[in-house]
Amino acid sequence: MKIGIMSFAHHHAKSYIANLRAIPGVELCSVADEDPVRGQRFAQAYGASFYQTYEALIESKPDGVIICSENSKHLPLVEMAAASKINVLCEKPIATTVADAKAIVDVCARAGILLMTAFPMRFSAPLMEVKARLDAGELGQVFCFNGTNQGELPTKHRAWFVDPVLAGGGAIMDHTVHLVDIMRWYLGSEAVEVYAQTNKIFHANEVEVETGGLEMITFQNGVFASIDASWSRPPYWPSWGGLTLEMVTERGAVIVDGFKQNITVYSHTNQRPVWQYWGSDMNQAMISEFVSAIRDGREPSVTGVDGLRAVEVVAAAYDSARVGQPVQVQRLN
Amino acid sequence: MKIGIVGAGFMGTTHAAGWAETEAEIIGIVDEIAGKAMPLAKQYNARVYPNLESMLPDVDVVDICTPTPQHHEMTLQAAAAGKHVVCEKPLGRTTAQAREMIEACRKAGVKLLVAHVVRFFTEYALAKSSVVRGEIGKPGVIRLSRGSFRPKKPAGNWFLDESKSGGILMDLMIHDFDYARWVAGDVESVFAKKVTTANPNAPVDYGLAILKHRGGAISHITGSWAYPPPTFRTHLEIAGDGGLIEFDSADTAPILNLIARPSSDSPDVGLPSSPLSESPYTTQIKEFYSVLLGEKQARITAEDGMAAVQISEAAIQSAATGKAVVLEVLS
Repeated sequence: MKIGIMSFAHHHAKSYIANLRAIPGVELCSVADEDPVRGQRFAQAYGASFYQTYEALIESKPDGVIICSENSKHLPLVEMAAASKINVLCEKPIATTVADAKAIVDVCARAGILLMTAFPMRFSAPLMEVKARLDAGELGQVFCFNGTNQGELPTKHRAWFVDPVLAGGGAIMDHTVHLVDIMRWYLGSEAVEVYAQTNKIFHANEVEVETGGLEMITFQNGVFASIDASWSRPPYWPSWGGLTLEMVTERGAVIVDGFKQNITVYSHTNQRPVWQYWGSDMNQAMISEFVSAIRDGREPSVTGVDGLRAVEVVAAAYDSARVGQPVQVQRLN
Repeated sequence: MKIGIVGAGFMGTTHAAGWAETEAEIIGIVDEIAGKAMPLAKQYNARVYPNLESMLPDVDVVDICTPTPQHHEMTLQAAAAGKHVVCEKPLGRTTAQAREMIEACRKAGVKLLVAHVVRFFTEYALAKSSVVRGEIGKPGVIRLSRGSFRPKKPAGNWFLDESKSGGILMDLMIHDFDYARWVAGDVESVFAKKVTTANPNAPVDYGLAILKHRGGAISHITGSWAYPPPTFRTHLEIAGDGGLIEFDSADTAPILNLIARPSSDSPDVGLPSSPLSESPYTTQIKEFYSVLLGEKQARITAEDGMAAVQISEAAIQSAATGKAVVLEVLS
């Protein structure tokens, strides 16, 4: 099976190459990037063939592509892949606007191709364990969630992560979707209302977008949830950030940390404690699911609609932050 | 200085232990439940009085450790008699009550000291002073949580009536509302939800609140009565533009107790329990004693106590209406 990567704008593209290499029978045939220097560097480093244009990559007829462009540039690449009936795994957030997200879902549906959203937390072993206990009825009725997806300012990875157009926003855009997706997955219920407060106190003079964000979401089944999406970790914190979720049920609470499985390393080199992760590789499981779904000709466990639903919540969060009151989530069917 | 304590429950007992560490003299104990005041009075060589009124002529300070709905009236009564007041949190059940209490004490020329003990917990006091020293820059996002189990109370107890206690958003979360305001300044708006709004018969309760401070910071406050006894956990995080402070009671517990204990052996109320040479409750009473002697300023004013009540009231209103509540500027 041949999988291509469209764009190296997102730093995850690098780990996806390694994940693809680890799957027997998968050939990373081709990469393309609008930045030829960057693209050629990655292609060379990983022994993949480099195409000067996205069109050329698509013409090489891979079975699937992983789209790692800037958030706002997902749609044109998805359209290109869909036009040639090539399956798509799209980085999160799937788009920066609800309209784009809907267009992505629609164009793939019309083309009859598989569309998956890159929500790796769905493949996190600790989060899957909690989901299994919940489904087995061990935890009882869920009442509310308290979630955090905090991080450092992501400019360390790529400058465009704080670009209001290319990223589509700041901390809220970056760090809402993972937890919204986990909550929808756990509950089997859709978000109906969002309240959000944002500010720009961290890195106030470096960026235009919000760096602090707190949200409160209500689901159709009455469960409510908070999300801390803030880029509040300093650059010398022991890791990039993390994701935690407290789930309160009639029997108490479960607190799961998606990035707790670390060793702490104190080295002369770093001069500060650094957490090195030893937990299971959720990206590997996610990429494997994409490949399996293509092989089996089935819908992946995380779909494009899942990506769309998360973007709808983000849009409502920005609306709420503007008006200072909760707003209804506009769900597109 | 002669102290009279009203309420011989857990708080009255704790305050008494604090007063015993000062030069003040515990003169009397009042409790509306007959016989409840006697053991405490015996311990400190104090008298049992049948009610506050009969104790007033004999004391300089009235320490109110009674249920929340009695704070207002007892403070007015003490002030009218020219006695200083120490009052457990929340200062009043409503902002209006708190305002009247402050006004009455001002007019009577007596001090009104509100016991928000979290400000006296060393970890919280240290984090506050770190912020004041500028170690983390300007606070941007604050996270505070306080989690335990629902206090065991007999049926009919005032605590179970939310119109009297204010429920989790008032009784428990006011600690962190006050602390958030201490660290990040006055609050402009509050949005809050709690489990028992939609599930009044839930065996647990849990509250979430988002505060927007006038200075621009935002705070995330959590209160839990959802954990099994004897759990008591607190967590603090203050992220600023120049750094970050983190604290978690579980991570900083200096003793990990892996000794088997009978499952029935759990307290009625969850309480913090990091071993210290002096209990924060005693530190608080000692500070109040110095304030009453005119030696220093308290780290918390009655106006702070009123502002905390106002935030809790707004949170209750928000949870009931589903809307964010904008706070009036307190004069």
